[in-house]
This record gives sequence, structure tokens and C-alpha cells, in this order.
Amino acid sequence: MWRTKIARKIVIAAFLILAATLITLLARRMNLGPVRAVPAFRASGPKTAEIQIYEYTDFACPACRAAYLQLEDMLKLYNGHIAVNFKHYPLVSIHKWSFHAAVYADCAGEQGKFGEYAALLFENQAAWGQAEKKPEDFLDYAGKLKLDLAAFETCSNKDETIKRVQLEMAEGEMKGVDATPTFFINGKRAVGTGQLLDAAKHFDNLIKKS
Amino acid sequence: MENENRAKIIAGVVSRLVVGGIFIYAGYLKAVSPAEEFAYAIEGYKIVPAWLALWTALVLPWLEIYLGLMLTAGLFTRFCAAGAGLLLLGFEALLAQAWLRHLPVLSCGCFGANGSTSLGVEFARNIALLIFAVLAFRFGTGFSLDSAVKGP
Repeated sequence: MWRTKIARKIVIAAFLILAATLITLLARRMNLGPVRAVPAFRASGPKTAEIQIYEYTDFACPACRAAYLQLEDMLKLYNGHIAVNFKHYPLVSIHKWSFHAAVYADCAGEQGKFGEYAALLFENQAAWGQAEKKPEDFLDYAGKLKLDLAAFETCSNKDETIKRVQLEMAEGEMKGVDATPTFFINGKRAVGTGQLLDAAKHFDNLIKKS
Repeated sequence: MENENRAKIIAGVVSRLVVGGIFIYAGYLKAVSPAEEFAYAIEGYKIVPAWLALWTALVLPWLEIYLGLMLTAGLFTRFCAAGAGLLLLGFEALLAQAWLRHLPVLSCGCFGANGSTSLGVEFARNIALLIFAVLAFRFGTGFSLDSAVKGP
């Protein structure tokens, strides 16, 4: 008799565990977890903007460069209604120096020059992206922007800076990001500039609705 | 006598729901976030190597969800309440050693990256949860699947 009862309880427990696992995995896939803020220097536009874009980007990816320019235009066009949050997603398997670029960009950001440094990285991605040895370009750009080079180097070796980029990569992986640029526009996924522009067709409606 | 029993049953059920609910919530927040995030928090306690921190971060959120769910539903109640209590004792030990060693733990990792409070507050919260876990262990079988399966 007691064996039957234990067996019943085990079956119910197995069912509950299965249901909880499926629901949690689904929530993970549907991006229902807490939104992770980016450092202030990587966010443009008001925090309360109607359109919130999280962009997973690789500095060495040509499509990301195009998207970067599109987003710049969108920020001007929908000024005050759109916020762009930049997330690093260096595709390290195909772009050898992307991770370094992301770390250095954050270090430029620590000195208030993230946007300018990112622009230089995108603009010259063909030059540093294909380099065999670690490119000097990263330091050259910092010099051009008159950054404190010692602080810049120290920052690039700091665990905290490196982990922040690694964490964003892990976050992207968990959300199923497998191509760059990938955008989450008010939580909805769009991959590539084409889908971004498609989504942008609804921006006016989104702004009107809110 | 009857009133006393009723109070115990209510305390047991409420305790079960509180511990179970918090475990589900804490586990869910971590399970829908990258494991690396929780692993970094665990590394901050400087007690396990990085590879073990990552494994712990992969397993612990699910364990919390399952324990919480079982407790909430009242299935294997005493066993799960004991498991939750042991986990809480483990968390307390971690927090205490971090406090004693003056480790710069910025995020306890208890509820993922968001909503972390100071070590002292977390310690006090866990003590409260421990008390609830003990109550759930002793009186938590009322209105439970355990009693439903057992029958009248």
C-alpha cells in the first residue's frame, strides 16, 4: 500500500519537475528574464523612451557597421522616443580581435569616449579586423581621442572589464543570438539591418500608442 | 487544543508557501540568466575554483526551483523542507565566511544580478527563511499533496 502511495508521489513529482523545466526553458528562450542594463556610456537616448533597442554587436562585422549607421540616423529621427543599448557580442570564432575591440571600447567608454571609439572601430574594421598580430590600431585610436593611455591599458587588463564582455556574450548565447547584429526591440527579436528597418516601420505607431 | 492544532497547520502551510515561493523566485531569476553571471557571484566568495563555481551555477537554480515547487505543492514535504533548510545553512556559512574574511562581495548572487542587498541583510533574511523551513518541516503537511495522496 505505502509503495503505491510513494509511486504516486514520485509520478506527480516527475510531472511537476518536467512542467517547471519546460516553462523555465521557454521563458529563457522567449527572453522573459530580467533585462540587464548596459553601462551608462553604452546607452543612448532616454531610459523611459517608448522604443527600447538592445543591440548585440561585433565591431569586426560589416553588417554591424551598417546597422550602427542606421541606428545613428534613427536616434536623430526619433529623438527622445528611442533608446539604443549597445551589447557586445564578439564572434570570436571568426573575428580574432573582436573581443579585444569590445574591451578597449568599454575602456574608452570609462573615459567618456565610447561613441567616438566605436565609430573609429567600425570605420576601420577592415584594417584591424584582418590583422595577424594584435593590432596597434586599438592604442592609436585611443591616442587620437586623447585618452589617458595608461588608464586605458590598465582598464583593458582588468578582470571586471573582461568579465563584463564575457557575460554579455553568455547572455547573448542564452538568448539564442547566433548572428550579428541582433536587436531586441521592445523585447522582440530582429536580426540584421533588413529586419531592423522592417521593425522601424512600426515605430510611429508604437510612439503614438504610448 | 483544536485551536492550537489549527494554528500549527496554518503556520506550517504559510511557512511552506513562503520558503517554496522564495526558492522558486530565486531559482527562476538565476535560471533565466546566464549561468556565468551567478558563477561570478559564487567566485566572489573565494571558496571554490572557477570551474566548480560554473557547475554550481548551472545546477543550483534548478535545485531551488524544484525544491520550491515541491514545498509549495506539499510533496515529500518533510524531505524538501529539510533540503531547503540545509541549503539555507550552506548559504549562511558562505555569507558568514565572506563577512569574516572581509571579502569584497558586491552581489550575493541570491536573486541573480539584480536586487542584491548587503551581506548582513541577506544573512538576516536567510535566518528568517530557516525558521520558516523548520516550521514547514514540523507542521507543513496540512493542505498538501502528501496528505491528498495519503487519503483521509
